[in-house]
Amino acid sequence: MHELGMARSIAAIVGEHARGRPIKGVRVAIGPHACIERGALAFCWDIVTEKTALAGTTLGFIDAEGDTFTVRDFEIREEA
Amino acid sequence: MCGVCGCADPNSEVSMIDVKTGVTRKLRDSASSLAEAHAFAHAHGLPHDHLHDHTHHHDHLRDHGHSKADAHGHVQSHSHDHPHDHDHIHDHDHGHGHGTDNRVVALEAAILGKNDAIAARNRGWFEGRGVLALNFVSSPGSGKTALLEATIRALKDQVAISVIEGDQMTTHDADRIRAAGVPAIQVNTGAGCHLEADMVAEAARALNPAPGSLLLIENVGNLVCPAMFDLGEAMKIAVISTTEGEDKPLKYPHMFRAVKIVIVNKMDLAPHVGFDEAACCDNIRAVNPAAEIICVSAKTGQNLKAWLDRLLLLRGDLQLAV
Repeated sequence: MHELGMARSIAAIVGEHARGRPIKGVRVAIGPHACIERGALAFCWDIVTEKTALAGTTLGFIDAEGDTFTVRDFEIREEA
Repeated sequence: MCGVCGCADPNSEVSMIDVKTGVTRKLRDSASSLAEAHAFAHAHGLPHDHLHDHTHHHDHLRDHGHSKADAHGHVQSHSHDHPHDHDHIHDHDHGHGHGTDNRVVALEAAILGKNDAIAARNRGWFEGRGVLALNFVSSPGSGKTALLEATIRALKDQVAISVIEGDQMTTHDADRIRAAGVPAIQVNTGAGCHLEADMVAEAARALNPAPGSLLLIENVGNLVCPAMFDLGEAMKIAVISTTEGEDKPLKYPHMFRAVKIVIVNKMDLAPHVGFDEAACCDNIRAVNPAAEIICVSAKTGQNLKAWLDRLLLLRGDLQLAV
């Protein structure tokens, strides 16, 4: 049940740094001891970002060490 | 309400009750106002509204000008002391300003960074005063409050003790602690399932623990979420009771990995519930080989001295360090 709140927290961090630019994808680094279930987080990400500026963005995972749980980076979508 | 842990009811609020004076102070608004702040920040791309709930809450108050003066003041100091966040924003601006190839923006932003920053401040505050802060975690009903009561009754004449009680609702636990003879603040987390560092910061200021004293923090009964939230304590201590079964440490390894000491409570009931002490200790060590294990009964006082001696030793170590 953590993952919903964590997804909100990630969306907040990215939303803050994106400053209105369109986002294509976000990558989070997760360590084995971070207490985070990736499937649940991915599920929650779709719910949390629905009908927001982050709707349709992908959430990628990067293996990290220990209890790492960070927003590693995000990708800005090229305007067509 | 919580914004970090999704198990929170969006309509609940966090409050702090001084059970001696009966004064209640709201620490966080209900989420309807938070949601408005969120929406506003999203719409306007406000940089600092999103970093954590504590800021959210107070930003909202500031916007609407109905904050209590002391709450407002605390938060301003919080906001100002987070160079971490500003660094990130500056880095980002810099990168972006340089041009077109920075499609990927590196952040490495800690998702629990806000809580951790406040926890670090708490830790410094406790260490500066030589206050030993301990964060007691367990499932509901393991006997945390009974253990604290027994500890207080045994030690209150030797050492100053104060207690922060975390529960979703009611002041029952803080009332019990106060009846045992020491000051207690009850934090009601509403639907929130754990204490967070900002709640402890406010409660600790209200309690104003004496230098060299013990600050015992009883977290919300929950073996999942409290493992993730640093409150600034010197260590987490898990309480497990014989009636819960020996396999709790295997089922909730994150929590048992996060603690330094495990207290096995209700040892008086062990023979009646077929509790296998050796298996329980093996399970604890399987997830946390360094954990110290102390088996007691808070109710009968069985082996309680081993815990009290360990507690005084911890405090002695802290005094030497300070």
